[in-house]
Amino acid sequence: MLQLLCKLASRSPWIYRINAGSCNGCDVEMATTALIPRYDVERLGCKYCGSPRHADVVLISGPLTLRVRDKVLRVYNEIPHPKVTVAVGVCPVSGGCFRDGYSVGADIDHYIPLDVIVPGCPPRPQAIMEGILKAVEVWRARLEESVCCHS
Amino acid sequence: MTNVLTGILTNSLQAVFAMLIFPGGLFVLALGLFLKGVDRKVLARLQRRVGPPLYQPVLDILKLATKETLIPDTANEGAFQLAPVLGLTGMLVTAALLPIGGVWNGVTGLGDLLILLYLLPIPAMGLMLAGGSSSSPYGALGFSREMCMMFAYEMPLIASFLAVAVRVGGAGGSGGSLLSLPAIMDYQYLHGPLLFDPVMLPAALALLLFIPGTMGSGLFDIPEAEPEVIEGPLLEYSGPLLAAFHLMSAVKLVVVLELAVALFFPNPLVATGDGGVMVNLLWHICKCLVLLMVSVTCFRAATGRLRLDQGFSFFVKYTSPLALASLGLAFLLR
Repeated sequence: MLQLLCKLASRSPWIYRINAGSCNGCDVEMATTALIPRYDVERLGCKYCGSPRHADVVLISGPLTLRVRDKVLRVYNEIPHPKVTVAVGVCPVSGGCFRDGYSVGADIDHYIPLDVIVPGCPPRPQAIMEGILKAVEVWRARLEESVCCHS
Repeated sequence: MTNVLTGILTNSLQAVFAMLIFPGGLFVLALGLFLKGVDRKVLARLQRRVGPPLYQPVLDILKLATKETLIPDTANEGAFQLAPVLGLTGMLVTAALLPIGGVWNGVTGLGDLLILLYLLPIPAMGLMLAGGSSSSPYGALGFSREMCMMFAYEMPLIASFLAVAVRVGGAGGSGGSLLSLPAIMDYQYLHGPLLFDPVMLPAALALLLFIPGTMGSGLFDIPEAEPEVIEGPLLEYSGPLLAAFHLMSAVKLVVVLELAVALFFPNPLVATGDGGVMVNLLWHICKCLVLLMVSVTCFRAATGRLRLDQGFSFFVKYTSPLALASLGLAFLLR
């Protein structure tokens, strides 16, 4: 019964975007998955939401500049459990072309656990959607864990 | 004495059944989520997308039920938790009071337009309480926007209620007005639906614009505007409390559609009896679907969002005069 609940619940992943100092390229590609009929992320039950408190899947783009670091961590902590993170683009993993820049500190995975990584500069919309689907798999496992622990 | 007692007992049993199962409670929740699903699917098809499956709203509710509930430190905890419960229960009770043509005549003595006028703003009150108690600046903005819009769209609602009441009461020969919904429906069974009455056409149009106004869709997606105030009052909600708000919105959708159907086109398709009730119920759902397509889905696919002042003056300048015109004509032709 609970397994079924988790299976059904995992078909409604709501997505929240965090821009951690990205150049906006990845953000444009993310918007593409939602706005362009050809990709239509909503057919997977996804919905881009404006509030971190509504989110299940977090898409992070950008190299985590020093300036936004604390704000990103604060927003990340406001997302209710269970949640998964997807790093979009190479910046969150390695800093990309901003690596060793004066405003870029350590990589994001020193602060936030990254579950799925979608490399690319920027990645194609298909790749982002595949990343979301993989993240949903991880999320489902976490849902089952949390629901079974509560009961 | 026993007769009176059994009468009271059956009446209250009937009321409990109406609130928990049909036409309130389970039925209205299922219908509301179905209508929401149809709305999302058709909107997606209009935008040439595939869109989510029809049962997506149900999945969303299940998902939200499994999530963690976060309450901000600075929020007023009691009011924050009360708001969604208040809105949802208020709407469920309202749904139980609405009669359905050829299926259900409403709880005896309660199907009254005045009661509906008090019950209909409850979800807006819930949202205002939510926005006010969540201690978020966006919640406060949503609160003030919700309140402004409520003042704007209540006026055409009251005016079209009165127009219908005066029209029906005047035709009854009493020269007064009739505020009872079953009586209004009986009048339409005899004289044909008010939708096709030229005097009532402006009021019907006003009510058609009231529906997106109160549901916050299309032009009037102002209190919960996602890119502007990040869903305003709902910003700080998560988990089951957010699910309650989504259910409230689904039930509210059914309530306003059913209300418009009852006021302007309640006529059943076939006579009651011999399975006629089921046919009439399906017919009623079809009417709700058509109204949903016209006033919510196509409307929001075709229009963008207005500013708060534009939305307010839209109702004051265009919608209210329509309803008032009907009211005036109904008075003159009494």
